[in-house]
Amino acid sequence: MTAAPVAAPAAEVFRPADVAEAVRFLADHPGAVPIAGGTDVMIDRRLGRLSTGWLVDISHLDTGGIVRDGDDLTIGATTTIRSIETSRELADTAPALVEAARVLGSVQIRNMATLGGNLCHATPSAEMPPPLLVFGSSAALAGPSGERSIDLADLATGPGTTSLAPGEMLVSVTAAVPDGIGSCYIRQTIRWAMDLAGAGVAASVETDGDTVTALRVGLGAVSPIPMLVPGLDDIAVGHVLDPDVLAEAAARARDACSPISDARGTADYRRHVVAVLTARAIRIAAARARGTWPIDRLAPPNGFDPEVLPGRENGPVR
Amino acid sequence: MKLSLTINGDPYRENVESTQTLLGVLRDDIGLTGTKWGCLTGDCGSCTVLVDGRTVVSCLQLAAQVDGSTIITVEGLAGRGRTMSDLQDAFVRHGAAQCGFCTPGMLVAAEQLIRDGIEADEKAIREGLSGNLCRCTGYNKIIDAVVEIAATRG
Repeated sequence: MTAAPVAAPAAEVFRPADVAEAVRFLADHPGAVPIAGGTDVMIDRRLGRLSTGWLVDISHLDTGGIVRDGDDLTIGATTTIRSIETSRELADTAPALVEAARVLGSVQIRNMATLGGNLCHATPSAEMPPPLLVFGSSAALAGPSGERSIDLADLATGPGTTSLAPGEMLVSVTAAVPDGIGSCYIRQTIRWAMDLAGAGVAASVETDGDTVTALRVGLGAVSPIPMLVPGLDDIAVGHVLDPDVLAEAAARARDACSPISDARGTADYRRHVVAVLTARAIRIAAARARGTWPIDRLAPPNGFDPEVLPGRENGPVR
Repeated sequence: MKLSLTINGDPYRENVESTQTLLGVLRDDIGLTGTKWGCLTGDCGSCTVLVDGRTVVSCLQLAAQVDGSTIITVEGLAGRGRTMSDLQDAFVRHGAAQCGFCTPGMLVAAEQLIRDGIEADEKAIREGLSGNLCRCTGYNKIIDAVVEIAATRG
């Protein structure tokens, strides 16, 4: 029997007292890597994808938790995915975030993994970016020369890379969640649990009566970085969400993405799935905006919910 | 580094490498080998333990990050002076262990789901245990045992 393994040789852990000390240490030690839940960092180290002398433990730092202030919803970077999944506040105001959190990994992984880790690891299929993008989120960064705020869409720059400067870390994300906004996140996977998305789609809808006043769709796993679908305002704002508008939005999402073929599906299949999921996510988000979606009912992970939303466009993926 | 942990009610002070995992500390430094090491990438759940009342996969948990925490492993489920917990007894009665390798992680994960008040509902429990793999694929009996105890304790 082999002995249980150590994580990796020749490395040390630094535990800063606060964010300021963390960024000073990161700036003074090029190559040092922040670690919070460790569910990506430890795997990357185990698999030899990451070698570093220093791990900077930020898991215990107070980054503010989940706070709503007017239309602004701020979530600290060290907030666990499980805390997002089980937040009453988020279930009421931004169910897309709950729907993304609850399909990430397992209970054990969600107890450890953090929002900041999910965003800064910059995996194209990450669950949390699409719903945050449809809320027009910004990211608060702390660095050795102070704090700055960027559009969350500018955080990831490619698979596994971010715009964080040396010594910088993500502190929190602020989403714009006006009263009455409806949202939803659904995805396609090969298995129901412990799987990465082949395509992930978030939608947010604001309405005035039956007329759409804002529509956003965010995509994950079908482009090098999570993305917002452009041009949806032109087709939706001022209109009722009839089948033609839904079909046009689905087509724009399909045409905007650039999936690769891999173990989770071919590029063609994923484009098709994006169109199907986009129509479903918009319908569910719109039903929430109009108050016709049952309170406390989360969308099924793939959004197929014929009990609430009958109709051909809600049909199974073919 | 010096690490202080309360494990299954007992205090421990261990001198460990700062990058050691909690799994490594439990098995190698302390000798609690009930917690299994399987995939080492957080996929299989056989290393599941409780840290301050939350399930974690101890293969991905840096020990340095849980300094001062209260840990429960499978060895601590029965409580002092008892041979088995009601959940462990249900696993035996339902035949919920085949090779037994996943059993410690299954027991710890299921115990916490029940403590957190999960419904005695097969679908909810299957979802809650989706981070624990049984390579014998003997899931039905495991789920039956957990549903029974969720119902009797609920």
